[in-house]
Amino acid sequence: MKKFASDLFTVAWGVVQDALHRKVFYAVLAFTVILILLVPMLPSAEVGVQLDLAREAALGLVSIMAFVLAVILASTILPGEMGKRTIYNTLSRPVSRKRYFLGKYLGILAVLAASLLVSYGVVLALVGVKFGVFSPGLAKALLAIFLEGAVLAAVAMLASVNLSPVVCVLLTGLFYVVCHVKGDFLYRTMTDPAHPAVLRGLAGIFYYLLPNLERLNINETVAHGERVFRVGAPELLLLLGLAAAFSAVFFSLGAFLLERKDL
Amino acid sequence: MALRGLELEVPRGSVVGLLGPNGAGKTTTLKAIMGLVRPDRGRITLFGSQGSDPRARARVGFLPEQPYFELYLTPRKILRYYGRLSGMSEERIKARSAHLLNLVGLGEVGDLSMEKFSKGMLQRVGLAQALLAEPELLILDEPSTGLDPLGKIEVRDLLNDLRRSGVTVLLSSHQLSEIEEICDRVAVISDGRNVASGALDELLRSRDEFLVGLAAPPPVGKEPALPPPAAWTGDRTGVVVPREALRTVLRCLLDAGLEVERVGPRRMSLEEFFLERVGRTGGEGK
Repeated sequence: MKKFASDLFTVAWGVVQDALHRKVFYAVLAFTVILILLVPMLPSAEVGVQLDLAREAALGLVSIMAFVLAVILASTILPGEMGKRTIYNTLSRPVSRKRYFLGKYLGILAVLAASLLVSYGVVLALVGVKFGVFSPGLAKALLAIFLEGAVLAAVAMLASVNLSPVVCVLLTGLFYVVCHVKGDFLYRTMTDPAHPAVLRGLAGIFYYLLPNLERLNINETVAHGERVFRVGAPELLLLLGLAAAFSAVFFSLGAFLLERKDL
Repeated sequence: MALRGLELEVPRGSVVGLLGPNGAGKTTTLKAIMGLVRPDRGRITLFGSQGSDPRARARVGFLPEQPYFELYLTPRKILRYYGRLSGMSEERIKARSAHLLNLVGLGEVGDLSMEKFSKGMLQRVGLAQALLAEPELLILDEPSTGLDPLGKIEVRDLLNDLRRSGVTVLLSSHQLSEIEEICDRVAVISDGRNVASGALDELLRSRDEFLVGLAAPPPVGKEPALPPPAAWTGDRTGVVVPREALRTVLRCLLDAGLEVERVGPRRMSLEEFFLERVGRTGGEGK
């Protein structure tokens, strides 16, 4: 058990160190922070509901940053290690491929969590300084963003076992779009008798197979002070369960493929 | 298919060299032993355990061909990373790292980032990481690649020291002289098959040719005529004779008043043996 935890920590810490040496990490983080600081300058923020709009825009920016970071890291880490063959040095140790894969995934989640914490601080400071309001409740939206990032990272890592980073990014992007529109577009396609049976069948398969990532998007609700819908502990636990279940499925598929891959 | 019906045994305490032309399957063999590629059929065991079992790898050190590392790290940090994955304590990692970095000639640069390291220096880091956990079996894929002549001699000495300390070594190399000097046994692979394997002395002892050694070379111009295809060695202190001509040649030498000191099977050079088994064309891109 001690060796298991130590291996996970060592591999995950390697991912964190790797991220800290990537210019893209700092570029994405800095770009997001700058854009968040520019939010109060939006024309719409000058009228009526400035606070809510500012919070919503800032959370939107943080979402984009989190997803970009999760997908880039998850799409490049494994192909990078396989391409440079540094994976040989690691897997020639008494470390199973599953453990190695899990360590990499946890490392990505650690980088994601740290980036979200930094963003949280910036958003809190902005809202506090500009509007004189302390909004710790935004953490709920950030948790949901983290959970969605975790699902996307698992999907990108699954794809990265056998595909190039560019294809992984594109596929994960497609997954993100489809999973956000499934509640509307796929449902309508699946239930509309005007569509051919094959199309309806396909839409049905994807509808039931893919997660509804829109469920994890609570930015608007939280930004507007949860006036219409309160996000309590049961809701957050439900989101946690949903994200954990789908992440586990995609992660397991990825680990299964890596286990059988010739390196 | 890279390997077909390959049988290879590495006895404990031996140094086994894996030879073969490019594309013969040497690297694939080593990767299969390390569990990096999975054979469709067959069995690979390490110390009696399945090769794909991570626990079996705890007693193995591996140097991949042209090893590469995260270059922003220092050699000491990379050894710390691999040491932790090998289950070593921090104190042991520290002590082994200091010892190994000195051993491979990187003691002075152990705390510098590897960004400006040459290929040879990275190869030395690779050797250090392979030796880190004091393995009982060392698997080295082209250990001398990228090293300067001095580095090659150092690796040779290092492997000899390891052999003396009882470490089992399996190495692949294109350097026939390296294999001949270090290895007790060799396995020649061609086209994914094991075409010859065994103790080096046994393999290199020709079964069809003898070497007749003379106490002193004959005076210049006074050499007796030898029946073809018997031939004088370069320094004229011996004659290489086919089995069927041995009697005739011995009589011829004795009749000429020359003193025969020894007669024995001729030992081929590893290069001759390799060319005989693999052929001059059995190589590139196969």
